[in-house]
Amino acid sequence: MRSAGNALRKAFVFLLGDEKRQRISIPLFSIFISLVVGAAVYLILEVSPREALLSYLRGCGMWPKLKYAGGRSIFTDFMSFLDAWTPMIFAALAVAVASKAGLFNIGVSGQMLLSGFFATVLVGYSELPAYVAKPLVLIIGLVVGAGAGAVIGLLKYRFNINEVVSAIMLNYIFNYVISFFIYYKFVDPVSRQSKYVGDAARLTLQNVAVGDVKTVLPLAFPLAVLMAIAVRFFLNRTKTGFEMKIVGLNRKAAKFAGVRVGRNIVLAMTFSGALSGLAGVSYYLGYFSSIQPRVLTSTGFDAIAVSLLGNSDPAGILASSFLITILSKGSTYMSSSVGVDQAIASLIIGIILLFSACGAFIRYRWMKEKERLDEASGKAERSERV
Amino acid sequence: MNTMITDGLSFALPLFIMAIGGIYSERSGITNLAVEGFQGFGAFIGALVVTLAPGVFPSASTGTMFAAMLFSAIGGALFAVIHAVLCVNFKANQVISGVVINILAVALTGFLTSQINGALTGAFTDKFQLGACNRLTWAAASGIPFLGGFFTNIYPFEFVILLAALIAYYVLYKTPFGLRLRACGDNPHAVDAAGANVSKIRFLAVMISGGLCGLGGICFAYSISTCFSSSIYMGYGYLAIAALIFGNWKILPTFGACLLFGFARSGGYKLVQLLSLPSMFSDLIMTLPYVVTLLLLVFFSGNNRAPRALGEIYDKGKR
Repeated sequence: MRSAGNALRKAFVFLLGDEKRQRISIPLFSIFISLVVGAAVYLILEVSPREALLSYLRGCGMWPKLKYAGGRSIFTDFMSFLDAWTPMIFAALAVAVASKAGLFNIGVSGQMLLSGFFATVLVGYSELPAYVAKPLVLIIGLVVGAGAGAVIGLLKYRFNINEVVSAIMLNYIFNYVISFFIYYKFVDPVSRQSKYVGDAARLTLQNVAVGDVKTVLPLAFPLAVLMAIAVRFFLNRTKTGFEMKIVGLNRKAAKFAGVRVGRNIVLAMTFSGALSGLAGVSYYLGYFSSIQPRVLTSTGFDAIAVSLLGNSDPAGILASSFLITILSKGSTYMSSSVGVDQAIASLIIGIILLFSACGAFIRYRWMKEKERLDEASGKAERSERV
Repeated sequence: MNTMITDGLSFALPLFIMAIGGIYSERSGITNLAVEGFQGFGAFIGALVVTLAPGVFPSASTGTMFAAMLFSAIGGALFAVIHAVLCVNFKANQVISGVVINILAVALTGFLTSQINGALTGAFTDKFQLGACNRLTWAAASGIPFLGGFFTNIYPFEFVILLAALIAYYVLYKTPFGLRLRACGDNPHAVDAAGANVSKIRFLAVMISGGLCGLGGICFAYSISTCFSSSIYMGYGYLAIAALIFGNWKILPTFGACLLFGFARSGGYKLVQLLSLPSMFSDLIMTLPYVVTLLLLVFFSGNNRAPRALGEIYDKGKR
C-alpha cells in the first residue's frame, strides 16, 4: 500500500516535470482529471464514456459519423467546427491581452454585441459588393470594439472606476439599448431576432461546393490564427507589450521605472476591445447572421476561463479554445446520438475550468511531494553509505 | 406611487442581502465575483427541498417559503465552500475562481434540475414551480400619502431580509469576530500577530457570503419568476457587486445603492406605463439603474477605496 502510494507520488512528480514544463503539464493534468470526472458522470448515467467522447468528435467532424445526410460529410462538419472556433479564439485573446496588463475584461460579451450590431446595421443591410463589405465589417468590428474597450480603460484611468464594475454596467447598457433598437427597427417578424444580414457582408461563406458536398467557409479563421501570432509577438517582442506586462506585474514598480501606467491601461483595454470586436463580427456576422435581442452571448464569459486554461498565452489559447469548442460544439450531436441532456457538456466545461483554476495548488502539491521524495532518497543514500 | 415603492422594495431588498454577502467576503479580503453563482445554487437547493417534499411543504404557503429560504441559505453556504477552498486553501486566483464558479453553477443547476425533474415526473423540464407567495398589507398604514407603499403588498421575505441584514450589520461592526474579519481584509498580518487564524476567518466569511446570497436568490425566485429555472441567472449577482462597490464596501451606503437600483427600475417601468409607450421601451428603462450607477461612480469614486488586502493571497512569510 505504502509503496503503491510512493509510486503514484513519483509518477506525479515525474509527469509534471520541471517548472518550465509545468506551464503545459499542469493544464494537461487539470484536463485529464476533469475528463475522468466527466467519464464518471456518463457512467452514472449508464452511457459508455467512449461512445460519448466519439460522439463529441463526430459532431465536430473529427471522427466519421455512421451516416451522413445528402451534401454533408466529415469535411463539412469540420468546417462548421472551425466556424464556431473562430470567435472563441478572438474573445480569449481579448481577455488575455487585458489580463497581461493586470486588467480583467469581463465586458467581452458586451463589446462583441456592440461591434456586431454596428457592423450589422451599417454594412449587413447595405447593398455593398462582397469585396468592400467584408473588409468593412472587420474594420467596423475593430474600431467599435476598440472604442468600447477604451471607454472602460479611460473610466479606470480618469475616474478610478473599477474596470469590472464599469464593464458589467456597460454590458447591461449595450444589451438593453441594442435590443431596444432591434425591436424598434430591425426585427424579423418571424424569428423575433434582428433581420438576417446579406451574404455579401457575412464573414463565413455559405454553401460553397467542394466536390459533391456543400460546406461553409469561415474566412475569419485564418485571421484568428494570424492574430494569435501577432498578439504573441506584440507581448513578447515589442516595447509597448513589455511595458504593458510590467504594469500588469507591478503597477508601482512600473511607475518608478518610468512607465506611463495610465496610458498603458487605456491602451491595453483598447487592444482588448478591438479583439472583442473581431470576436463580435465573426460571431454575429459569421457563425450566425442575426442578433438575438436581450441575450448576451456566453462566449465572452467562457473566454475568460479559456484564456486562463491557456495560461493567457496565445499558443495556449489556441489549444484550450480548441478543446472547449469541441465540447460546446459537439454537445448537440452528442445529445441527439447518446441521448444525454446537452447541459452535461457545459457541466464538463465547468469542471475543466474549476480544476484549471487550481493550477497554483497543483504546483504547490508538486513542490511538497518533490521535497518529500528528495528527502526520502537522501535518507536512503545516507543509510547505504553507513 | 405605491406600486412603485412596493416593486422597488421587493427588488432592492434581495439585492441588498446579496450585496451584504459580497461585503462579508470582500471585507475579509476574498474577491467575490461568485455572488451570481451562490444565489443561483442556493435558490436551487431551496426549490429542490420544497419540490422533493410536497407532503411536508404545501406549495404557496408562507411557511414553505421560510423553509425554502432556510435551505437556500444552507445550500448557498455549502456551495461557497468551493470558492473558499479554492481561494483560501488552494491559493487560486480569486477573480478566476469566481467566474468559474458562476459558470459551474449555471451548468450544474441546469443539468441537475432537468435530471431530477425527469426522475420525479418523467418530464425533463428545466424548472421547479414554486408559486408566488402571499403578500401582506398593513391596512392602517397603507393609506399614508407617499409612504403608504412601504406598507402595501409586502412579501413576507422582506422582513426576514431586514432581520438578517440587521444581524449581519451587528456582527460585522459590533463583535470581535466582525472586527477581525474587517482586519483580515486590510491587514491580515496584524490579525495573525494578534493570534487569530486568518484562513479560518476568511473561510467562514466566504461561507456566510454564500448563505446570504442564497437567501437573496430564493427571494428572486419567489417574487419575480415564481419558479426556479435558469432565468434566475439574470445578472443580479453582478448588480449586487456593483452596489457594494458603489457603497464603498460599507453596509449602509450599499443599502442606499440598492434602494436606488430598485426605485430607478420600478420608477422606469411606471414611466413607461404612464406615457403608455409600447413595451419595447421597457428595454431602455432597464438600463436606468446601470446608467445612473455609472454616472454616480464618475462623480463619487475618486475616494473609493477597496479593502487594502482584497484579492491578495495570504502568505504568512510575506512582509
